[in-house]
Amino acid sequence: MADMIQILVLGLALGGVYALMGSGLSLVFGVMRIVNLAHPSLVMVGAYIAYWAFRLGGVDPMVILPVALVILAATGVLLYKLVFEREARSAKYSEMTVLLTFALAMVVEGALGTAFTNTQRVTSPDYATDAFFIGSVFIPKGQLYSGIVSLTIISALALFLKYSAFGNAIRATTQNRDAAELLGVNVNLVGLVSFAIGIGLAGAAGALVSFVFSFFPAKHWEWIAILMSLVVLGGMGSILGTVLAAFILSIVAAYVGFFFGATWSTLTFFVALFVVLLVRPQGLFGEKPELA
Amino acid sequence: MSALLQVSNVTAGYGDGPAILNGASVKVEPGKVHCIIGPNGAGKSTLLKAIVGMLRIREGDVTFKGESVKGLRPDQVLRKGICFVPQERALFPKMTVRENLRMGGYSMRDKVDLERRIDEIEARFPILKERRDQHAGTLSGGQQQTLSMARTMILRPEIVMLDEPSLGLAPKIVAEIFDIMRVMTEDGITILLVEQNALMGLKHADWGVVLDLGRTLFEGPGQEILNDPRIQELYLGGRKAA
Repeated sequence: MADMIQILVLGLALGGVYALMGSGLSLVFGVMRIVNLAHPSLVMVGAYIAYWAFRLGGVDPMVILPVALVILAATGVLLYKLVFEREARSAKYSEMTVLLTFALAMVVEGALGTAFTNTQRVTSPDYATDAFFIGSVFIPKGQLYSGIVSLTIISALALFLKYSAFGNAIRATTQNRDAAELLGVNVNLVGLVSFAIGIGLAGAAGALVSFVFSFFPAKHWEWIAILMSLVVLGGMGSILGTVLAAFILSIVAAYVGFFFGATWSTLTFFVALFVVLLVRPQGLFGEKPELA
Repeated sequence: MSALLQVSNVTAGYGDGPAILNGASVKVEPGKVHCIIGPNGAGKSTLLKAIVGMLRIREGDVTFKGESVKGLRPDQVLRKGICFVPQERALFPKMTVRENLRMGGYSMRDKVDLERRIDEIEARFPILKERRDQHAGTLSGGQQQTLSMARTMILRPEIVMLDEPSLGLAPKIVAEIFDIMRVMTEDGITILLVEQNALMGLKHADWGVVLDLGRTLFEGPGQEILNDPRIQELYLGGRKAA
């Protein structure tokens, strides 16, 4: 029984970071219909920023997190202006962004590999290897902190989307772009800001990932499949759905890992991806896909 | 009476495609309900889209209070005082009724005033107050149409253009929709309406405009057009009924 609770705790603790990575991806898809395969490669950039800030300056990854967020958000603005804005009206936009972001992921991976080699890295503040104990159940501090910070950021995002005028404009654009435009929303600005927020969240997640997992430039390929499964299970474009999916799948993966061995736990995400697409393609909170 | 909105010999189409409008002209006078009718493919919806700037006008002009609005973006046309409710009702299905109303005043600077105007709208349409925290997507078709129309009133526009507001609604609900239009005109709002159901549209309109093949065929008081033999011919004659 204690084992079962222990696994639940470990799964819960990881869910937060997954949720943070997934929500950025989901936001960008929801508003812009961009399937951003480069999202985890940009998470890696955030992780390297945190790694070097810690190694060279001894700065705590959670302190550098806002910096990573801002740097990546600025990168997002640049990418949007250079790459994604011009074709936004194209009928095949989503399909095209798959190829565009695939190429972008390879460029980012190549650049990181050239700059920092393919050595495995992990940021190692004291808490990353420490734990709290509640009876016999231990909670790794690193994972706990990353989970709390992730949920704080996601809550801030949710409050912004729900209660600010611009946040409402973002949601409106996601749900009905033409209608939002007719009501005077500058949908291009909404696209730009949401893209910047989404990429900024990748940077923030990177800072947290840097002390929760070991990483190297090509690691993002492993992440993209996991993140896609979260976004699909949650319902494409639904941030609440993505967060729930992150917790469900990371808990299931933790149990799968315990019963069948760690090799099998990643499989959870792929199986979920298959099953959701076959049984309920719209996911938990998504729209039924239109036949077009 | 001078025209509030004047569409003169407008030619327009989608993208680089063929022209859907071939010199359409419509004169809109203040305070009245105008109904554009015509068979399928006559260019009725296209005309409304051209007026709000969703389509580029290739030739001709659109003037609002004597000033050209040709070439303006939809949000700029909106700020001039022309609201457009497209056929698909343009709601945000996963936002609440109140949030949808709030989006109606997105272009307003004074958010306190906006909240006050939303309260006014809620007072006039009690169903919207009752359902304020419900997602718009869960409303019935008639309630969605009511919300779409009420939402335009927040900006206190001069003209509201409605593209087939009766589409897919039961007759009893359609009658309510036309009642709302009357309420709007009492508020000094001028209505420009496109209807597939010509009989019903004309019955409620002060002025009818008959469009075919992208051109204005003829116009006149709603009742007159209703009894015009040419209408019979257009809908029941050489061409199939729409």
